[in-house]
Formats: sequence, C-alpha cells, structure tokens
Amino acid sequence: MEYAASEPGTSPADTPAMAIKILVAGGFGVGKTTMVGTISEIRPLHTEELLSERGVGVDDLSGVESKITTTVALDFGRITIREGLWLYLFGTPGQDRFWFMWDELSVGALGAVVLADTRRLQDCFPAVDYFEQRGLPFVVAVNCFDGARRHDPAKIRRALGLDGVAPIVLCDVRRRESVKEVLTTLVTYSAGGAFQEAHAGV
Amino acid sequence: MTGEDPGPLIRLFGVTGGRARPVGESFDLVAIVTTVDVPAEPVGLMPEHLDVLSSCRRPTPVADVAAHLRLPLNITRVLLSELRREGLVTIDRPRPVGKTIDERIYREVLHGIRGL
Repeated sequence: MEYAASEPGTSPADTPAMAIKILVAGGFGVGKTTMVGTISEIRPLHTEELLSERGVGVDDLSGVESKITTTVALDFGRITIREGLWLYLFGTPGQDRFWFMWDELSVGALGAVVLADTRRLQDCFPAVDYFEQRGLPFVVAVNCFDGARRHDPAKIRRALGLDGVAPIVLCDVRRRESVKEVLTTLVTYSAGGAFQEAHAGV
Repeated sequence: MTGEDPGPLIRLFGVTGGRARPVGESFDLVAIVTTVDVPAEPVGLMPEHLDVLSSCRRPTPVADVAAHLRLPLNITRVLLSELRREGLVTIDRPRPVGKTIDERIYREVLHGIRGL
C-alpha cells in the first residue's frame, strides 16, 4: 500500500492544470540532453531564446540587428503524470553567461539534477554553488560512462564540498530505470518536510 | 533601408509587429495557457495567433506553445501576451512553489515516475 493519492478518481476534476519544472544542469557534454531524452515521453523539444547584448529585449525594430547577438537553445522533455499534471525537464544551458535563464527556470521549480562526470568533476561546481545559494533542492547524479570505474559517493561528496544533505546517486543516463531512480530520489528529497509532516515514518 | 534581405531575426520581430517584450504581467515558462471561448471568430489575427488559439483549447504550458510554433520563447511570449490583452487567452499567474506543490502532488509525481 502506497500513495493513496494516485488511486483512480481521487484527483479532483476541478484541480487546475499544472506544470512542474525540474532542471537538469551540469557541464558541457555530461549527458544532460541524453538524460532528458531517456525519460521524456516525447522526443525532447527544442526552443530558443533570443539574446541581446544587454540581456534585455528591445522595444522596436531600430537597433535590433546590432543588439541581438545570439540565440540560446533550450531542450526540454515532458512526463505526463495525469491529465492536467505534467513534469518538465529542462536541460539548462551550460555557459555562465546564460545564468539569467537559470534564474527564470528556477522560479517555482521542484528541484534540480546536477549531472557530474567524475573525470571532470569541477565542471559541475558552478551548478552546485548556484543551487545551494538559491536554496533549490538538488541531487548530484554521477553519470557512470562506459569504462568509468564505480565511484565512492562519499569521496565525491567531499570533492564537491557538499554539506552532507543533498543526495548523491550513481547513474547511467541512457538507462530509463536509472534515470527514474535519480528523479524519484530528487522528488523524495524535495518533498522532505511535506511527507514527514503528514505521514510520520514514510 | 536597402533592398537587402534583413535576415531572419528581423522577420521574427515582424511576427510581433516589432515588439520584443511581452505586454502586461510577466509569466513563467511553464505557465498554463488556455484559450477563452469567444462568441465570434476574432478578426485581425495572424496565423501564429490562430495557431495558439487552436492548440490552447486544451490548457498548454508556454514552453509547449513555443515548441509547437517553432518560435523562440520571447517571440512566443509576445504573441501570448497580445492574445491575453485581447482577452482571447488566460495565462496562469506565477505562484510560489510552496503553494502549488503540496504533499498530494509530490505523491502523484513520485507514483507517476515509478510507473513509467
């Protein structure tokens, strides 16, 4: 017996539609898009944000050519929990200059997955720092590539200077079951207080 | 102006009438957009607007609208904000996480992921 809330008919029809964000962050080439694609029910959708030099929009056509300099791609996947309740996974742009997009993505988000590659552990430091500062719950998912030896989560925790609270999960982003484990770990961690308050011992 | 092709970015802003910022209150990337039933077919709209009205009869998050239109997010946001101003769509106001994701939602999400 678990999760009575998911029994058919218990979702009130008048519950407003809701989309929940989960961010997938980490260094370039660590497997963010792969992870999103492994778990998403749709082929990851791709959209772009136009960027101006000043990171702000312009009000009219004059000067558009000089101010708009680049586009930043944003890949996202979707999991339908039920009609009117969706989970969105956003692969966050890796470059530092796109942090303003993280600010927006973080607002109201359930939490974040920081993907780490033990061969380049330092690549995920900025993401760890960012989510710690923002107080957004996150898990560190260590992508174990082919041939990569199994790592000791305790050593990784020390190397990242984690405070001992954020969970660390070893994973293979190409395997669905593995990605599911990462996400359930994040949701459980993020729910934290909500579960304990309502159901002691869960 | 010269006769040269102004390039794709200028054409994109043509879709929004040159506007690059949404009108009115800002809204989130996953805010839910819902088409409002109106008695008469609205006139003076562009194909992109009509496309949004058609696809958002079922409540749809902003990011999905952008992907569907194949337009950048901020262009999509301008279009959506214009439709909102005309009273043709509603867009959820942003809510703090603590007020939206309660214990029941967490459980539903957990169960949903495990059942994939």
